[in-house]
Amino acid sequence: MRPVDELILEDGAYQHRTLFWDEEIYERELQQIFARAWLFLTHESLIPNPGDYNTTRMGEDNVIVIRQDDGSIGAFINSCRHRGNTVCHADAGNTRRFTCTYHGWSYGRNGDLVGVPYENEAFFGKLDKSQFGLRPVAQVASYKGLVFGTFDPQAPSLETYLGDMRWYLDAFLDVPGGVELIGPPMKSILNCNWKTPTENFGGDDYHFGWTHAAGVAVIGGPLQMLSGNAELPPDVGFQVGSKYGHIFGFIENGAPALQLHEEWRAAYAAWIEQRMPIMVEKFGPTRARFYGGHWNASIFPNCSFLYGTNTFKVWQPRGPRALEVYTWTLVEKEMSAQLKEIMHRSNAATFGTAGMLESDDGENFEECTRNNRGYVSRQDYYYTGMGQGHEGPHPEMPGIVSEVLMAETGIRNFYRYWARMINGDDWSRIAVPATSPLTKVRVA
Amino acid sequence: MASTVEKTSAVAGQPVDRETHFEIERFLVREARLLDQERLHEWLELLTPDIRYLLPVNEIRYRDDTAPIGTATGTHIFDEDYRQLEMRVNRMDTKLVWFEDPKNIARRLITNIDAEWTDVPGEADVYSTFLVYRNRRQRDETWLVGAREDRLRLTDTGWRLARRNILLDQRVVLDKNLHLMM
Repeated sequence: MRPVDELILEDGAYQHRTLFWDEEIYERELQQIFARAWLFLTHESLIPNPGDYNTTRMGEDNVIVIRQDDGSIGAFINSCRHRGNTVCHADAGNTRRFTCTYHGWSYGRNGDLVGVPYENEAFFGKLDKSQFGLRPVAQVASYKGLVFGTFDPQAPSLETYLGDMRWYLDAFLDVPGGVELIGPPMKSILNCNWKTPTENFGGDDYHFGWTHAAGVAVIGGPLQMLSGNAELPPDVGFQVGSKYGHIFGFIENGAPALQLHEEWRAAYAAWIEQRMPIMVEKFGPTRARFYGGHWNASIFPNCSFLYGTNTFKVWQPRGPRALEVYTWTLVEKEMSAQLKEIMHRSNAATFGTAGMLESDDGENFEECTRNNRGYVSRQDYYYTGMGQGHEGPHPEMPGIVSEVLMAETGIRNFYRYWARMINGDDWSRIAVPATSPLTKVRVA
Repeated sequence: MASTVEKTSAVAGQPVDRETHFEIERFLVREARLLDQERLHEWLELLTPDIRYLLPVNEIRYRDDTAPIGTATGTHIFDEDYRQLEMRVNRMDTKLVWFEDPKNIARRLITNIDAEWTDVPGEADVYSTFLVYRNRRQRDETWLVGAREDRLRLTDTGWRLARRNILLDQRVVLDKNLHLMM
């Protein structure tokens, strides 16, 4: 593995291609990113009652996320402390205990080891069960319903970690009644590196008109003119890179744009119009715009969503060259059942496993990874210099904000924070926005 | 064909007669061939205007714990009506679906066909299994195995597909997309 300051150059504008192929770099990512960062686990609405659980992954670690008897949420590594077998094989359920199928050790909702066959006869009563509870995830927290966990006891609080991005997120999370995710999630595979879709969903408004030319053409509506890059999009948006590597792009008034057809767009637009006065009163006109706009966004490192299109995803890494994607539908709790169904169906038809736009992306992502198989090919760098120098602090909005919609501002930000995490920097240093040591210039 | 319609209501739940079974089997085989050959507008003609085309997510649950948990009330990878299916066909017509050019291959093998009359005159419940082979680019290759629960309706122009529920035998879809009709 090359030194980090040779992997990411020029403030994030160049990424060495081994980032998208190399086993050693991937192991470092598991250690320095997935074992330290806050990772999305589930939404509170998906496990409302004591004993309700979901299973998921944090990096390559299998975890159980469960609602405790006291109403809090716990998360544990899904592996028996005796010989390591999986203790829960279901995606979801409600239970009092998880019982290992190997020797029958069983664990309570709080992870405690509560049952050991022949505890007296074979262990002579000397097994200290308190030492063998399921390994807990160090910190679990919810931000307005979105549940995250981190294996790092030293990690800053979830609120601190989300940082500036909360200022933007609140503009839809704080809607009356809040939001929820509809599941169960779709799950499918992509033979690509996990960073490629994360950067794409977070900060790539450049690909939209071209990659999705066909889908945009038949869905119609306000974005139809972008099909095949027929027209430059009107300059009504921007990209943001925020602390800890979170990124997003925003398109003004675009929330319903990718609902599947005119009737559904109208139904959603009517909902937004009805809610907008509440949001303006709550947030003022500047931030209330976010509620009516469309966002592409990624919460570092691997959680992405499109607000408006309302797809919500986690890109679960599976080695450096493959991932599993989980996809839920994001809705407001107080929407009618009918509007929620529109969202759920529209999400499936656009960004689900059989989604018309999802399939456009998947092919590109896979080829971007696959070509690094070539030794010579992967000695090179990828380039995301678009809009460099046309971005910076904004008088009203936090983070680094681009001057125009099509800019790779957020993607550069993502890789700057990637470099800092990989470097093993202390959290106090990670938090300080700085370009060093990423100022090396690429030599052609 | 008129005689077929007349006898359906009397024998709901019973296997269809030999002649009807033959017609249904021909229908499914022809449908598969039209899809394999990307004759998508002809395929659309085999659907009723009120079609519902479904592919539910298989959540993995313990046998004695199957009630939905929280807001996980159900997700469909396909939950489409005629308008949506037509949109997919029109999308291919744009010639802007880059990853379908060069052409990808999908070969559908349809088997284990069983058909029963329903309590709706002229409608049959048809069960079948499929193996779909996909081959793309140089060496992308996947096999999809599953079953289908169809409702076929006999119309003035022959049998038509009124409902399809696809049971894909994978929790994690082991393919980069399901950009095809099964």
